[in-house]
Amino acid sequence: MNTKNRYVLFFVLPAVVLLLVFVVYPVVKTVLLSFLDSEGRFVAIRNYVSVLRSREIFDARGFSRGFPLGALVHNLLWIAIHLPTTMILGLSLSVLLKNVKGGSVIKSIVFLGMVMPMIVGGVMISFIFDRNLGVVNGFLGLFGIQTKTWTAHPDSALLSLIFGSVWLWTGFSVILYSAGLETIPRDYYEAAQLDGANPWKIFTKITVPLLRPVTVVVITMTLLWELKVFDIVYVATMGGPGGASNVLALQMYIYAFRAIDFNRSAVVAVILTLSTLGVGLSLLRSVKDDPT
Amino acid sequence: MSRWIVLSLVLISAVLSAVTLTIIGPWAGAEMEGFMPVIREFERQTGIKVEYKIYRAEDLANLLPAQFVARRTPGDVIFMWASFIREYGQKGHIIPLTNVIDQAKYLPGSLDAVMVGKELYGVAYTGKVKPGFWYRKSFFEKHGLQPPKTWEEFVALLEKIKNIPGIKAPIASGDGVGWPLSDVTEHFLITFGGPELQLDLIEGNTRWDSYAVKNAFDKLTFLLNKKYFGEPTEWTLVLKQWWNGDYGLYFMGSWITGMVDNSSDLGVFSLPGARGVVFGADYAFVPKYTQYPEEAKKLIAWLSGPQGQAVQVKQGGHIATAVGIDLSNYPAVDREVAKIIQGVTALPDLDDSIGGEFQPAFWDQLKLLWVQPNRLNDVIEILQQKAPKKR
Repeated sequence: MNTKNRYVLFFVLPAVVLLLVFVVYPVVKTVLLSFLDSEGRFVAIRNYVSVLRSREIFDARGFSRGFPLGALVHNLLWIAIHLPTTMILGLSLSVLLKNVKGGSVIKSIVFLGMVMPMIVGGVMISFIFDRNLGVVNGFLGLFGIQTKTWTAHPDSALLSLIFGSVWLWTGFSVILYSAGLETIPRDYYEAAQLDGANPWKIFTKITVPLLRPVTVVVITMTLLWELKVFDIVYVATMGGPGGASNVLALQMYIYAFRAIDFNRSAVVAVILTLSTLGVGLSLLRSVKDDPT
Repeated sequence: MSRWIVLSLVLISAVLSAVTLTIIGPWAGAEMEGFMPVIREFERQTGIKVEYKIYRAEDLANLLPAQFVARRTPGDVIFMWASFIREYGQKGHIIPLTNVIDQAKYLPGSLDAVMVGKELYGVAYTGKVKPGFWYRKSFFEKHGLQPPKTWEEFVALLEKIKNIPGIKAPIASGDGVGWPLSDVTEHFLITFGGPELQLDLIEGNTRWDSYAVKNAFDKLTFLLNKKYFGEPTEWTLVLKQWWNGDYGLYFMGSWITGMVDNSSDLGVFSLPGARGVVFGADYAFVPKYTQYPEEAKKLIAWLSGPQGQAVQVKQGGHIATAVGIDLSNYPAVDREVAKIIQGVTALPDLDDSIGGEFQPAFWDQLKLLWVQPNRLNDVIEILQQKAPKKR
């Protein structure tokens, strides 16, 4: 081994050891656990079948009766509502506030939600939707609408958490889109204006396409967050009432630390890891292939 | 010069060798203020310093297993659920206390929850009774209300309270982790299914879809459908609202006496016909990984003995599990509680005794039932699914 290689090894080795101990080993162990029973016997995919067939994960009766629909469906709902809402809000706010005096102050205020620890955000959400203390009910009360504690009812608990988290997460997309907007050359806008393009045309034909790499990052990070969302749910509703706001990460915690069933918990962990890995890789590939 | 060095060394070694025990309990606010005099008295009598740390049992359930695997402990004496103490005692993470306390000096049955065979893994500290519905005497007097003696009178009382202007609901529903709703549910199970139903459910001898359970739940859902229970609200917040007259009744344990401005204005009644009440003792244990096993044993023996418990009951809201504590130690309102529990069976808390996956499921399903009583069958189905099978 020459001197250069020895130096490389010297600097790389600590990182490799740390990765092996704290990332690779736990991942392998978790995957292994998901195929074993509590006695350590190999059970093939029995744990996966048991978890995926359990009502905590997927409850088909919910589609006719109402929530809960199962943690898996709740996560998908979270993605379906939260992702486009935060993206559209983030993009709109960053575009609208770009050339406005004091826009950066407003953007900083919006970003405060991101600065706050999510666990505190969860407490705030439970207050926001509270019957007695909440601003939502205070606002609805102005119009004579009968109020309730939104997080206490199965039909509104999950939606309350999702919309509450929109407030917490929008700051993230605002900041990324604002940074992205600064990278688009002014010439493009000036040329479009000279050609007689209206603001909507400019937005859809210049701004949105040129922000595609930023959009990919926003989608990736938001999807990853939505898949592993835990803290907000844990604090605000603990997945209730009756499992109506349960999510995969919380179910993984309940299996592991309440049921003391590490095998089923490992199954959920593997499902979550594969989902996040799939999302991350496919979106990163699309950035790589992006001709812009 | 050398004299100073020696003196300094002696001082440093004295400071370093001084024992400070850490005790972990769930009490904060007013409840913690009631517990601190007990610790101070122990420190005064033994010279051993004690530091108190607050951890909820729910958080300890996550923290301790990992700590124990690493042969560590965050505290020398820890208050925790009996089911946890039994489980981890058997796994060898807890110091047996069989020869540390005299078991004959405790109320019969009060140590059963922390015993496995003949081995004792924890001690019973003072207990709290969950006797029934609390009301303000001044509120009842003002509106001409009387504690009920029959179920019909109870329902009539709720209807009268409901019709009082400004009332949000006749009964306040405490929310939070979930135990306030499970406490009131257990009271219905015990009243309409008998004390044996509670014990059978704990042991897994009775199904949740049995007639006895459904009958008790039918009574409860009847009241829920009539909107006699308020919407679940954080339990300390709703306590204040109830005290201010937004609600007429509040089901809570005897610790409520230490949480109100004027405990002499408190009255309490059980559901008519109740033959049992939940007597929830607080259990503590000494982890195997404590640095100071002898001092920790001394602390736990003192706390659970008559000296420690006498200091605690004086603060109000606690009932001793150790025998031989003079009644004069109790505040007047606790004597009223003591009267209620005379002649009825003292029972363990249902969800604390079962623990595990059942406990959060029970709490969560009751939160659903409270807002959608028409989902009773779903709730019972889930509870049966999560319930312990016959031991």
